[in-house]
Amino acid sequence: MNYDWDFGAVWEYRQMLLDGALGTMKIAAVAILLGVVIGAVLATMRLSRVRWLEYPALWFTEFYRNTPPLIHFFWAFYALPVVLGVSLDPYAAAIIALSTQSGAFYAEVFRGGVISVERGQWEGARALGMKPHNVLRRVVLPQALQRMLPPFMERSFELIKTTALASTLAYSDLLYQAMQVNSITFRPLEVYTFVAAIFFVTLLTLSMLAHVVEARLSRSSYQSAR
Amino acid sequence: MEFSWDFAPVFQNYPVLLKGVGMTALLWVIAFPLSMLVGFFISLATASRNKVAIGVGRSYVEIFRNTPVMIQLIWFFYAFPILTGQQLTPVFAALCGLVLNASAYCSEIFRGGIVSVPNGQWEGGKALGMSRQQLMRRVILPQVFARMLPAFTNRGIELAKNTSIASVIAVQELMYQGRALSAAFYRPLEILTAVGIIYFLLIYPGSYLASRLEKRFALRT
Repeated sequence: MNYDWDFGAVWEYRQMLLDGALGTMKIAAVAILLGVVIGAVLATMRLSRVRWLEYPALWFTEFYRNTPPLIHFFWAFYALPVVLGVSLDPYAAAIIALSTQSGAFYAEVFRGGVISVERGQWEGARALGMKPHNVLRRVVLPQALQRMLPPFMERSFELIKTTALASTLAYSDLLYQAMQVNSITFRPLEVYTFVAAIFFVTLLTLSMLAHVVEARLSRSSYQSAR
Repeated sequence: MEFSWDFAPVFQNYPVLLKGVGMTALLWVIAFPLSMLVGFFISLATASRNKVAIGVGRSYVEIFRNTPVMIQLIWFFYAFPILTGQQLTPVFAALCGLVLNASAYCSEIFRGGIVSVPNGQWEGGKALGMSRQQLMRRVILPQVFARMLPAFTNRGIELAKNTSIASVIAVQELMYQGRALSAAFYRPLEILTAVGIIYFLLIYPGSYLASRLEKRFALRT
């Protein structure tokens, strides 16, 4: 166990690792945005009470939630181009895989938030003469959004961790760049420990921030309720 | 869309895929009980009153929950041997990563269960002269275990999905075999679709069970 740690290699190739970190941030940000759109569409379909909208959305979410994320990456990169007839670069494939799978999970978060608002609220607002879309916008969504926030943040953190799988498609994310640095420097211990530490610090900071925001939101809604 | 489906490579090579399923199952069957066991001991630390034990336990949980599983597997396969001087086999490295990752989540399930028991139960047990250990074994755990079932089922599902990452360090499980076949036969669409369906068939019963359990316990309380 007498190993001399030497992070010189990490420092020397910092530019490569920085590019990787930017690559990770890029796919995470784009996939979260697209995932929210896909999730909102799927949740609306599932809440529509129209059968031919409900069931495709249900099976889409079930399929994505019950298969490993890695197969979505490989499928998007190797199989989807056969269907589409155009080849996809690793970036496009990674975005497709990440945004569809996070969309499936976000859909459940959105749907859960909306159905968690009691029926009485709908009925009460309707009895006051509000139109259905007004009920949704003014009564249901403000309450639902607050309940969606914690699971939404949790899903987004999962997504950030899943971005590491994009390295298997040779997309230059942080992990892929680390593999390149490792193959130049033969310093796997320092390089991979460093990458793990970057993820750890980022995610821990984000989840602490999320807790602060959630605590503040629930306090402010409690005060306005009084 | 000029494409004709041809599932022949999938059917002709089903023994290869079956072998992959066997390895996936093996990883899961070893890793899941071990994760629960390790997770239980970690939860004893994080739910204890010893500050050092809490600190160590919490760090363990936070480290493994806040880093990608893939990096954990790669770390055990490529980085850990540098420290020990001994190369781990792919299967062993994969198991290390999977167990440490899942145990961090399992320990949070146990901890959540343990702290959910009202204080009065602890006090009542103490008043009867039970030690902390006896209380845990006879009063607390029997009550919370049923309540934790849905969460553990979900963890088992996540673990089953994570086993696919072992293919990255050349463990010959389902994903690895699927990729090898699709490279050999140039039929990625059929083979990867088949692999996805096999995973779905393996995992969906578990998540169906989890949703049933959740409904049952939601009704009871």
